[in-house]
Amino acid sequence: MSQTRTPATSGAGWQDADEPADGRRLTPAIPSEHTVVGGDWQELPDAVEDDLMVINMGPQHPSTHGVLRMLLTLDGETVLDNQAVIGYLHTGIEKNTEYRPWVQGVTFVTRMDYLSPLFNELGYCMAVEKLLDIADQVPERAQAIRVIVTELVRVASHLVWLATSGLELGSTTAMIFGFREREGILDVLEHVTGLRMNHAYIRPGGLAMDLPDDFSERVGTLLTAMKTRIDEFEVLLTENPIWVERNSGVGVLSAEQCLDLGVTGPILRSAGIAHDLRKAHPYCGIEQYEFAIPTADTADAYGRFQVRVAEMRESLKIVRQAVDGLPTGPVMVADRKIAWPAQLGLGPDGIGNTEEYVGKIMGQSMEALIHHFKLVTEGFTVPEGQVYIAVESPRGELGYHVTSSGTNKPYRVKVRDPSFIHIGVLQAVTHGLSVSDVIAAVASLDPVMGGVDR
Amino acid sequence: MHGGEQAADIAGRELDVALPPHLRALATRLTAAFEMLQVSGFRHELTVLAPADRIVELLTFCRDEPDLRCELLADLSGVHWPGGKRTESAQETTGWPSYEFGDEAGRIEVDYVLYSLTHGHRFRLRVELPDDDPVMPTATGVYGAANFMEREVYDFFGVQFEGHPNLVRILMPDDWDGFPLRKDYPLGGVDVQYKGATIPPPDQRHY
Amino acid sequence: MGLETKVPSGILLTSVEKFVGWSRAGSLWPATFGLACCAIEMMSTGAAHYDLSRFGMEVFRGSPRQADLMIVAGRVSQKMAPVIRNLYDQMADPKWVIAMGVCASTGGMFNNYAIVQGVDHVIPVDMYVPGCPPRPEMLMDGILKLHEKIKAGQLVERPRKHESMQDFRRRTGWIDPVDEPSADQRTHLPQVPA
Repeated sequence: MSQTRTPATSGAGWQDADEPADGRRLTPAIPSEHTVVGGDWQELPDAVEDDLMVINMGPQHPSTHGVLRMLLTLDGETVLDNQAVIGYLHTGIEKNTEYRPWVQGVTFVTRMDYLSPLFNELGYCMAVEKLLDIADQVPERAQAIRVIVTELVRVASHLVWLATSGLELGSTTAMIFGFREREGILDVLEHVTGLRMNHAYIRPGGLAMDLPDDFSERVGTLLTAMKTRIDEFEVLLTENPIWVERNSGVGVLSAEQCLDLGVTGPILRSAGIAHDLRKAHPYCGIEQYEFAIPTADTADAYGRFQVRVAEMRESLKIVRQAVDGLPTGPVMVADRKIAWPAQLGLGPDGIGNTEEYVGKIMGQSMEALIHHFKLVTEGFTVPEGQVYIAVESPRGELGYHVTSSGTNKPYRVKVRDPSFIHIGVLQAVTHGLSVSDVIAAVASLDPVMGGVDR
Repeated sequence: MHGGEQAADIAGRELDVALPPHLRALATRLTAAFEMLQVSGFRHELTVLAPADRIVELLTFCRDEPDLRCELLADLSGVHWPGGKRTESAQETTGWPSYEFGDEAGRIEVDYVLYSLTHGHRFRLRVELPDDDPVMPTATGVYGAANFMEREVYDFFGVQFEGHPNLVRILMPDDWDGFPLRKDYPLGGVDVQYKGATIPPPDQRHY
Repeated sequence: MGLETKVPSGILLTSVEKFVGWSRAGSLWPATFGLACCAIEMMSTGAAHYDLSRFGMEVFRGSPRQADLMIVAGRVSQKMAPVIRNLYDQMADPKWVIAMGVCASTGGMFNNYAIVQGVDHVIPVDMYVPGCPPRPEMLMDGILKLHEKIKAGQLVERPRKHESMQDFRRRTGWIDPVDEPSADQRTHLPQVPA
């Protein structure tokens, strides 16, 4: 069943060449009409009559970026129809958050998009803070550290993207390089949060704990090393004829198609629209740092590669500025009814309550003990209401639509994950490509199935 | 609770406090074009309550009108507010609070978050449907992004979107029974076993 | 079960078993079966820093038919469970399974409608590696312990210490020709005593 749809038709269309609107290019270079076909189980082609082949790719496949299943209808080697079947990693995280106090939602939510865990936490905590109306009370040091760790995670996520995309297109070196670089970043994150992945570091109101003392030296070493490493990546891939050939012209998604299909992030930027939530709706004090938004014109997989590599450099710039200008102060809101009470620190057996804190609540202050007990068992209550917060994750706009019913547990946490939306464009992106190009196109969309299926 | 019932008495006063000027102008623009809308503001966010039968028209208006120009459908989600009285985890032993709330009739809210890249504004359109028969027209003709998102709302809440090209389950297995994110659907899970004791899953605990 | 089916009955092999165990453990090829976050840690384990290649395991086979080891890395959803079973059945004997991470071992933190509470509900597991996600060193520790288990594997069933021959025969499904069931009762399955 096919549907011809012209997004944003006559009148208010996005083809207005004389209305650039803040310099953002809204006129696509590619025709605006596109036909979306397929999408029906009942309409698989007839093998004899149509001479088409239906091939199942996934869910276990070395190159599908996780448990994604694609039913490809092929005419020879050309893809005519691509139905994506998802849900193989559905974990029910959204429902799980409804049965746990607000603070524990962080540990659930961090495991959705597992390549950029701190972004999930950031979005959730910002939504909770907005509901609590303490968004302006979060200390500056906490905001700056949030920016540092999330930008480091952005670099790590793009490195994994480079590594896995390279591997899928045949470059094992890219895989080894990417994961090697990532180890450096994970070392720093482990030093700060205690974990390499799924950190649960960003909490509503601030952070779980402060930075360690030698943090700036470690980050300094990392930043120096990363600069040369990204250059190595560029040397390996940017002008590599195989890489260029396999990625150019593959997976083209024009700006208009992107907007109609809800695509944001590097894919939209590769189509020429310089839209980044960090600039459009800045959060966590990121407006004080100087960075650019890289875009590309080609709207294909190669353009996305260029955008992501440039984004890595920009993120490292942000980290440098943030570490240099790190303010002092607390890392949690002052409101004792919300702030996570425990003072965490590194002890002989790992991260836990510091000795002084345990001494204080057990020996000195009864009130502190009661406070600690109530906050840890029951948690804080959040006023009724519904908010929507979006952060710019490495994949695009990660939105949190959080509803509270006035209790100590969330009522509904809906996560608008960019990968979920991007899987919806698979049909448009892979129509007419060969099977090997499908792999390159899907890789360039950078879907993370944890975010898709939640 | 919020949205429908409160919006009627929020009217102008709270809107002024809750919303920044450009959203207030937006609200005025929308209510001028569609009289039946109810607007409300919370934490600087505009929520517009619309009837289900006019939603496609409203979405098209928001997308095409130059002052609104909402190119992006950022989110389409559902929230289930079940009918009747409901206690939220009455806890006896630790004295956790027990919350009683509930409407007379259950409803499912479908929220559309629209975002404009040109103007930089974002607001929410809300449709309320009865939870025993939630049917409404699809938005896939207006935004292609609604395709997967409506399938997800169908999968989790059972909302039927009329005119959707492929309204089948998306995240749950195809033959799954029930709509998991409704409040009357249990969390599921098994008892956690220890040596000589078990702990039930979180939705069945009494402490 | 691989070589086990080829060994003629009634013969005890000790050095051969050691040799076979050593060679099986020496180059155990994993199947790419990363599901969620643990998959990333598994990839890190295979990458340069924590190198799996020193155990001969860097070749993650795309096809389960060519793999010996299935590392179930990540949470197994209800939709994925039949797929896992299918893939496990496609693997050729001898095969082993590592349940990596708490989600694969027991369902982890997701005790709900969507997650199978432990992949051992679906396939038999040889090694459970806890962690959320387990560090690469932890995964390697699990793999090395699995190597020990493989090296200690036996090709031929032999009576255990203090086990009588009768018990041994019953345990291994020996059917005494004298007690053979009549044609109408005979099934192709070995008689397992109640």
